[in-house]
Amino acid sequence: MLRRSLDAAYLAAGYLAALFLAGIAVTIIAQIGARLLGYTVDSTETAGFCLAASTFLGLAYTLKAGGHIRVNLVIRGIRGRPRRWIELWCTGFTALAMAYFTWWAFDFVYFSWAFGEISPGLMAIPFWIPRSGMALGLLLLTIALVDEFIAIWNGAVPSYEANADVVLPADGEEVRQ
Amino acid sequence: MTDPGLVAFVVFTLMALLLASGIWVAVSLTAVGFVALFFFSPAPAGSLLASTVWDASWNWALTALPLFIWMGEILFRTRLSEDMFRGLSPMVGRLPGGLLHVNILGCGVMAAVAGSSAVTCATVGRMSVPELKRRGYDERLTIGTLAGSGTLGLLIPPSIMLIVYGVIAQQSISRLFIAGVLPGLMLIGLFMLYVAIRARLNPALAPPFEERLSFREKLLRARLLIPVVLLIVAVIGSIYGGFATPTEAATMGVIGALILAAWSRSLNRESFMASLMGAVRTSCMIAFILAGAAFLSIAMGFTGVPRVLAGYVEAWNLSPTELLIVLTLLYIVLGCFLDGVSMMVLTASVVLPMVSDAGIDLLWFGIFTVIVVEMAQITPPVGFNLFVLQSLTGRDILQVTRASMPFFFLMLLGLVIITVFPQIVTWPVQLMVMR
Repeated sequence: MLRRSLDAAYLAAGYLAALFLAGIAVTIIAQIGARLLGYTVDSTETAGFCLAASTFLGLAYTLKAGGHIRVNLVIRGIRGRPRRWIELWCTGFTALAMAYFTWWAFDFVYFSWAFGEISPGLMAIPFWIPRSGMALGLLLLTIALVDEFIAIWNGAVPSYEANADVVLPADGEEVRQ
Repeated sequence: MTDPGLVAFVVFTLMALLLASGIWVAVSLTAVGFVALFFFSPAPAGSLLASTVWDASWNWALTALPLFIWMGEILFRTRLSEDMFRGLSPMVGRLPGGLLHVNILGCGVMAAVAGSSAVTCATVGRMSVPELKRRGYDERLTIGTLAGSGTLGLLIPPSIMLIVYGVIAQQSISRLFIAGVLPGLMLIGLFMLYVAIRARLNPALAPPFEERLSFREKLLRARLLIPVVLLIVAVIGSIYGGFATPTEAATMGVIGALILAAWSRSLNRESFMASLMGAVRTSCMIAFILAGAAFLSIAMGFTGVPRVLAGYVEAWNLSPTELLIVLTLLYIVLGCFLDGVSMMVLTASVVLPMVSDAGIDLLWFGIFTVIVVEMAQITPPVGFNLFVLQSLTGRDILQVTRASMPFFFLMLLGLVIITVFPQIVTWPVQLMVMR
């Protein structure tokens, strides 16, 4: 139950990230269209907000899919139990670091709300709204990392390894598309 | 304040340890930045972390990145790669070197689309290696052309690498794109020339290609190839002519790619979602790294490390050319461990101030760096492209490396040419219309 709802949450956030990515294009199209019709629509800020939302909401999904890169030159050759310890270190350390980051991101959102900070552009959007995308995305990433840590502790293969797009397959395997 | 020399030592050791132990690149950058701020400066590390990362994440210049990635993902899922071999082979078959030019030009086009050199190498190679082998082409030249040309995507616009450089070096992405065009074409030219000369000297390397087609048939074969090339030219042209910012050009690129995909009947719900989710993964990864790098760079500024390191280098009294040689060696070594984006981002906060102090134009240096990063992709023992080709061809790394070496040196020649004639980079930029 918990397993299913967590996976659903990562995926849902991934779809939201996709929506915001396409949103960048939509705001730009609105800007170009409005310019042709003689109106002024400034997409600079909205495109930027969409970009940030897409990046942070996509973090957990990208982690699960093995999209974040890391240097595997050293750890590539390590298998079995030592490898499990390495993966526990990676997910554990990163979970702690991201938990700390999440804390400060919420602090940042709280103060932008408390001080009523407003974006400098024409839209004058209260900054706490786009910034909460960052805080929520980081929170979900932290949860995903703890989730991974527990799964690896219980003997599972990390999902970022299992799901990674294989561009460099092991000997004898076909390149997966 | 602590001695910046000691701070530099701690920072580099920590960075090396975190990266080597498998911590994600973006996280390593952020964590090292945090340690530098928390222990070696009076600044409030936590709140600076949140505000710096936020500022770096909604940067207008960066909005072009996900869109160009998405455009590539859409085109990549069309029949483009299948059309590549059939479309290009009748065009280049009669040049000396024959179908080897398909590898070079095919990689050039695919690279502009796919943006990743490993993917480019694998896609084009899977089509052409069996064909070339069947026709008796020299194996070393087959592998070498793939290895060399696969890296072209880093330079040929719309290049993800140049966007990344533009964001970290605060250079105009429009200008970088235009600056990349001629050097990119020059490298293609150098590769083709080399193949042609080798084939002239020893025709056995590349047997002539017999197929004769009428002009109409040739066009028909290149059904998807020509529109894709036109789309790329239109995207770059609109930036060059001052009609569009990179983000606007990228939006048009996405729309154009969707139209081409629909026209070639490869657009459906499934492929649309796959392309969009693929773009999310790649752009999320890069944007997160850039955000971490922005934080690291602020943190380093607080500790004064870049200033001290620049001082060390200054004490060596290097001429600009010597500095470039040292940096080239540094990047090639780093290329053994890191991919291009991480390499550029990691070194930026230290290298860029040094370079601009030496009086080197940061726009020109962007193109220079990207070519060096390209070279690093095919440098043994750990060039990314070498691995791809190794698994694709079933030859060992030594053979693949030997085959790639001439192309490594051709890129080195390219570097020398743009250093001696920087106009190749800067001249088209001076002619462009800026908005």
